[in-house]
Amino acid sequence: MAEKKKAGKSSKSARKAQSPAKKSPATKKRSARSALATATSASKPVDERIQAMTEAPLAVCAEDESLQKMLNVLRNREEPIEVRLAALQSLQAASFAVLAFESCRADYIATLRELVEDPDPELRQRVLGILARENDGFVQKKLLEGLKKPGKALVPPEKALQLLSYDVHSEAYPIAREIVKNPPSSEAKREALRLLSADPAAVPVFEKILRDKDELAELRQLSASALNSLRPEKLQEHAREIVLDKNEYDDIQAVSLTALTTLGDEAEVTGDAELLKRVDALKGEKSTKVKKSARRFLEKYGE
Amino acid sequence: MTAMAAATAGATSEVSEDDFAALVDALAAGPERRGELTDLLREDHPVYDQRGAATVVRMRGWVLLALARAGLPDAALLYVLEELDAGIDAYLVAAAARALRSRPQPDAAFAPFLTRALGNIRYHDEPVSFDGYGEYAVGANGTSPVREVLATLEWLGPHAAGALPELEALRAQPRGLSRKRLEDLDRALETVRAGGPAGEPGGDCCALPDGLSSWARGFRRGGGPVESVVFEDQEGGTAGFQELFQGHPTVVVFFYTRCDNPLKCSLTVTKLARVQKLLAERGLDERVHTAAVTYDPAYDLPERLLRYGQARGLRLDAGHRMLRATSGFEALRRHFQLGVGFIESLVNRHRIEVFVLDAEGRIAGSFERLHWDEARVVERAAEVLEEKTDEPAPPARHKAASPMLGTLASLGVAFFPKCPVCWAAYLSLFGVAGLERIPYSPWLQPLLAAMMLINLASLWFRGRSTGRRSGFYLALAGALAILASRVVPGLEAAAMWGVGLTLVGSAVGVWSRLRRPVLHALR
Repeated sequence: MAEKKKAGKSSKSARKAQSPAKKSPATKKRSARSALATATSASKPVDERIQAMTEAPLAVCAEDESLQKMLNVLRNREEPIEVRLAALQSLQAASFAVLAFESCRADYIATLRELVEDPDPELRQRVLGILARENDGFVQKKLLEGLKKPGKALVPPEKALQLLSYDVHSEAYPIAREIVKNPPSSEAKREALRLLSADPAAVPVFEKILRDKDELAELRQLSASALNSLRPEKLQEHAREIVLDKNEYDDIQAVSLTALTTLGDEAEVTGDAELLKRVDALKGEKSTKVKKSARRFLEKYGE
Repeated sequence: MTAMAAATAGATSEVSEDDFAALVDALAAGPERRGELTDLLREDHPVYDQRGAATVVRMRGWVLLALARAGLPDAALLYVLEELDAGIDAYLVAAAARALRSRPQPDAAFAPFLTRALGNIRYHDEPVSFDGYGEYAVGANGTSPVREVLATLEWLGPHAAGALPELEALRAQPRGLSRKRLEDLDRALETVRAGGPAGEPGGDCCALPDGLSSWARGFRRGGGPVESVVFEDQEGGTAGFQELFQGHPTVVVFFYTRCDNPLKCSLTVTKLARVQKLLAERGLDERVHTAAVTYDPAYDLPERLLRYGQARGLRLDAGHRMLRATSGFEALRRHFQLGVGFIESLVNRHRIEVFVLDAEGRIAGSFERLHWDEARVVERAAEVLEEKTDEPAPPARHKAASPMLGTLASLGVAFFPKCPVCWAAYLSLFGVAGLERIPYSPWLQPLLAAMMLINLASLWFRGRSTGRRSGFYLALAGALAILASRVVPGLEAAAMWGVGLTLVGSAVGVWSRLRRPVLHALR
């Protein structure tokens, strides 16, 4: 009986240990402060510091001294990179509380700008990402410079394009068009096309890629999606032609059928005997994807 | 072109940023050239054409800083206050706050702009550097917009007494500004309080200095020709400028859906919805139309316009629309003298602008740059409406001409002789009136048919703008009857019915246009 009681007690304490303890805000702050002290102490083991960093965000902006300690860890190249990355994550988590972080924001942004040329590529890329999401002019200028002069690039071109795409006003369209014409890599071309998917002047580029059977299926699908956003009527025209083309790839035909099913002008499509006949034929042939898309199309317009 | 514009005309999009900075520095060196610096603040200045938004920020910021050194003239004050009122870019707000301190005298009217700037920018407070052109603050160097705004409040001193409650509330917040900014705030509070309790020394805290109110009343600005502009609305319907903006006053705002400043486009469209409600409360919503026109017509397709308007509570129907110019945007830009710059089709910078058009589509009032009051806009539209009611005749006569011609054309088609023999018979009938001198002209029939079609098209567009299409349908039935009488043997008598229907249709079309003003006049 006593053993049973003991076992019950131990399982209760185990549950208590497993479940997150309900702490009052004051207790949370106290433990965050103590975590921050551990996190910023160079004498503590790395693992312990990284673990403490995850508990520190509440205390990061509580006092100016705490913030400066954390920023020092972040910018100190002598610190282990794992600790620096954890410090960045902790600061980023703290910054999500916009009101509470108000007093720390200026120093935080200034420190991040110091780190855009840090030798560690992961830290550099993360910092660039944070600043790019803030539409930071400093970072946009650096990224554009890197795309124009690859020797100055802070990140690979596909990553730079991805970061520049966060801000539609970042003046990256001309360089993205250039990259589509002369891509340094297929990834860069893909990201350039993604960036251009909000540029109405790029409609002819997307039309050309969508109809080019030599292009990668991923890029053709991306072009279809961009046309859907920029000129839905153009997508409908091309989708019809693609469906009618007996030598077209299955993936692209399936995408085109889906586009016509969801976006097609009902009167126009139902009156298009040639198209309906072709889709009827597709229903019984080819790949599963095409068959499924054809069936959905005919459920809406035919039969 | 003004003398000022001529002086900076050489500054075009071809000028490099370094050359631009040198030009600005040279202009700032001579106090007599401040007008040229001010001219460089126009959003549509060619120097900003085809530059990205971040570049425009660097360039405008440098102009503001040059004005801060040279002394801010009256003509540039509106640009500075605009930046404080609705700016969200740290560099520009900081530069504007610094430029304001170069005014010869502090003015209590500046205080509300500074407190608004503080509210807008405090959560985006970033380090900025004024050390050199295009420099960004890295590390601990530089200043910040909040620091500059607080320094300007300190410069205002007792003149900012009206802002005291807001500043004290900011000071009392347990969390808020950083320790350094709190020191700045304390210094500002100390000088502001030096004038005594709030409101005493500042005088009129909220009046702008003379000449800064943007309303231009009692005048008409015709602008450039806009006949070539074709609009598409949120439903995909198309119409010309005259169809949309003639016959009734219209409140027009400009915006674009990709605008990243919520204090500009989003707020403008939300405020237009409020204008619509105020018009409805006064029973003017049918007589005063509203339109939100996009700066970004290539991207803002009808569906996007619809979603954007609906999300902001905009009423959308025949009299209240969201529009994009599918052709003739340049003509539209010139007509309204829009304060907007572009990189390709994308806006790189724009001001806030609201227009009240009279029943002729001319600009009868405009409000630019600073935040506008919805009630004042409605008041101005109501004034314009009264002007129109006093003089309804000219547009009415103008509008009536087309249906009259159309009906005559229908008559002509219906009774046009089929051959020279019939022509001779007609002439013998009218011989007494001397009509026999007119030669038989086969080309006249297609001409009359074309006029009939023009009449039908006119009735269709009129029906679209008024929401009443019965006139068009009657005239269409008439035209079909006339056509049948000409091609189907034995149906010649249908011509009379056709002419009658066309006449009635045209009259109904005109009446739907004039109904409101006439009923209003009768009341």
